Amino acid sequence: MTWENFRFALFEKAPGALQEHSLIVLITITLAILISVPLGVFLTRPKFKRFGMVTLNLLNVLQAIPGLAIIALALPILGLGMKPAVLALLFQSLLPIVRNTIAGLLGVSPDVKEAASGMGMSQRRILIEVEIPLALPIILSGIRTATVYVVSMGTLAALIGAGGFGNLIMGGLSLFRPEYLIVGAGLGAIMAIFLDRVLGYVEYRITPPGMWIE
Amino acid sequence: MIELLQITKKFPNQTTPAVDLLSLSIPAGEICVLVGPSGCGKSTTLRMINRMIEPTSGIIKINGEDVKNTNSDQLRMGIGYVIQQIGLLPHRTIAENIAIVPRLYKWPKDKIKKRVEELIVMMGLDLEKTWGKYPSQLSGGQMQRVGVARAMAVDPPIMLMDEPFGAVDPIARTHLQDEFLRLQKEIKKTIVFVTHDINEAIKMGDKIAIFDAGKLVQFGTPEEILTNPINDFVENFIGHDRVVKKLNLFHVEEAMQPVGCMVRENELHSAAVKMKAVGAEVAFLLNETGKTYGHITLTDFKDCQDNIESLRKMVQRTKKAFVQTSTSLPDALSLLLEYDVDYLGILKGEKLLGMLSFKDIRKHVYRKEGD
Amino acid sequence: MDFINFLTNNTGTIVEYTGNHFTLVLQAVSVSLVIWVPVGLLLTKSDKWAARVLSLANTIFCIPSLSMFAILVAIPGFGLGRKSALFALVLYAMMPLIRNVHVGVKSVDRNVIEAAKGMGMSTGRIMREILLPLGMPIIFAGFRITVVMTTGIAAIATYIGERNLGRFISEGLVRSNTPMMVTGALIISVIAIGLDSILGAIEKRIVPRGLRI
Repeated sequence: MTWENFRFALFEKAPGALQEHSLIVLITITLAILISVPLGVFLTRPKFKRFGMVTLNLLNVLQAIPGLAIIALALPILGLGMKPAVLALLFQSLLPIVRNTIAGLLGVSPDVKEAASGMGMSQRRILIEVEIPLALPIILSGIRTATVYVVSMGTLAALIGAGGFGNLIMGGLSLFRPEYLIVGAGLGAIMAIFLDRVLGYVEYRITPPGMWIE
Repeated sequence: MIELLQITKKFPNQTTPAVDLLSLSIPAGEICVLVGPSGCGKSTTLRMINRMIEPTSGIIKINGEDVKNTNSDQLRMGIGYVIQQIGLLPHRTIAENIAIVPRLYKWPKDKIKKRVEELIVMMGLDLEKTWGKYPSQLSGGQMQRVGVARAMAVDPPIMLMDEPFGAVDPIARTHLQDEFLRLQKEIKKTIVFVTHDINEAIKMGDKIAIFDAGKLVQFGTPEEILTNPINDFVENFIGHDRVVKKLNLFHVEEAMQPVGCMVRENELHSAAVKMKAVGAEVAFLLNETGKTYGHITLTDFKDCQDNIESLRKMVQRTKKAFVQTSTSLPDALSLLLEYDVDYLGILKGEKLLGMLSFKDIRKHVYRKEGD
Repeated sequence: MDFINFLTNNTGTIVEYTGNHFTLVLQAVSVSLVIWVPVGLLLTKSDKWAARVLSLANTIFCIPSLSMFAILVAIPGFGLGRKSALFALVLYAMMPLIRNVHVGVKSVDRNVIEAAKGMGMSTGRIMREILLPLGMPIIFAGFRITVVMTTGIAAIATYIGERNLGRFISEGLVRSNTPMMVTGALIISVIAIGLDSILGAIEKRIVPRGLRI
């Protein structure tokens, strides 16, 4: 191990990798939220509850598929690059958010909704002003899980040309440069832990004091 | 006999002790009720007896033996413990639940089976319907009975009960209380019973210990406490209907007077004469078969001005005013008001044993001890 | 078509890699159970320590698996090979196992425990006859998560020298051998889903009778 290699990895290669990785995470999670939360809301509406069960079961089954396999399967279907990677990761990050959205919404006490309805709130208003705010902590927890997952699996995205920390790691493995490994792997780990903590804190702040579960 | 000697319990995050220098002697074979408002330390005290909580200082002795000398598991196996939420094992059948302590004692299987059957029946539950069921299939009242049965499985001489009938509706609670009292007449265990309800304490307790903020305020029989509350706190805790509550302790049999004058149906017109002759205020009327069916007072005679028809009507009004000897005084008082009469006839079966008036009730409440 | 061809032509390798994969998963899960379940049970006694250990487990869990493997490779004493792979997998199992053992035991109604203790049941008995049976559904769920997760991460261990099903994917990617890559991905997906379903079915039946009624 040499300091020169370290320096190179940390200052020359890492910033680019960080950028790529952050981009992957940001785009994937944003898309995931935009799809999953409305989907979750939709699936908890009384008319569609049955679809909800089916969808949930399906997503549960798909969740078991290893991340590496998903990324690998993305290649022949979608090709190389960031887009395929984002799509593959999106696929896997839907479940935690959808599941938590559903759980959070279903967990809102029916009494609260009844009271709101009795006060004259429309169903739409109840959704926006009562259900979603009350379900938010749990939804956020799902987002947090998904985020960490995307950072994690994002390291593999390098395999299909999406860049990110995975490049440094793969480079380190094939060139026998432990410095690359430590920088790439270390930064990846730090990013994951950092985001987990930040989102955890946000979760803590938005949970009303009376609703602490643990 | 259970002795608590200078027991203090201070929890780590508290400034005032939950139990403060408590000394109490609980006599054997009786029900001793620990009662007081929420947070007064009664449950804490109870749980120190079977070492679920350890006192900060002080000694607890059972039959002269310091409880610390016995291994805590062993100690608890020998003491029945019933809690408000019962705590039946949800994944075991009722029979298995009741059999827990006998199993810990390694009783032979047939002995256990026999005892479980005995207990289920004793608690008034249907044997076949209850045996193999799971707790989730029972009603609250049934579960509570199972809880008591479970605690009595190895027939422990001492039972600790913490609001055992608290989790059911008032009607079920009354039944459970009555049945338990009936049971206790036969088994005569030493029972320490915690409740926040003074009425339950008066009903169930042979002795009552009133707690306030960790201290023992008064200890005595229900009658002592109702007659002589030691301070304002006790008076308030008992309630302003203290004297009426005291009535609960008695039955009409204890307060009734003998019937001074009885007349037959056809002698109604001369009843007043007879009453004056024996110095009675009231006469009870008997029909041809000797059964009583009402009463008439001297005042009634004055009001009716000796008119036989009016007199007969007055007697008719009193035809319901009869109760059995086992009736409680509060019920009798209530009936006196309900039937709008001055006297109740006290029957044993069909036989007229005595009579009861408002005055008799008053006199009984204020009689001195030993009269 | 290519897919079928690949299967028939490389059956030997497929069997070898599958075998290695299962061995690794089996070893990792066994070690994890033996270490983390007792730790989880111990931690139920102290909320303070439970919080600390869970926090640590959570942090470890956040680390991308490739990162974990890579760092281990760089450490002398570990390097490439099964030792590092096992170590990483066991570390990842810490979170689901300890958390679910903890939650499972804590989920048991306090009143049941109080009554049992008040009857004179020893701590050991309470653990064996009450906490474990009643907590088992949640604990088993943790076990299921661990197995499926380990199966997935084990594939990534191919990058530090393991010759298992992940190798089809890694080699397939490098050599642009799509049939190999897809086959590998499909096989491992099927295995993962299969395990998850089987364990899921068992999980449903593990609920004690009295609670199912």
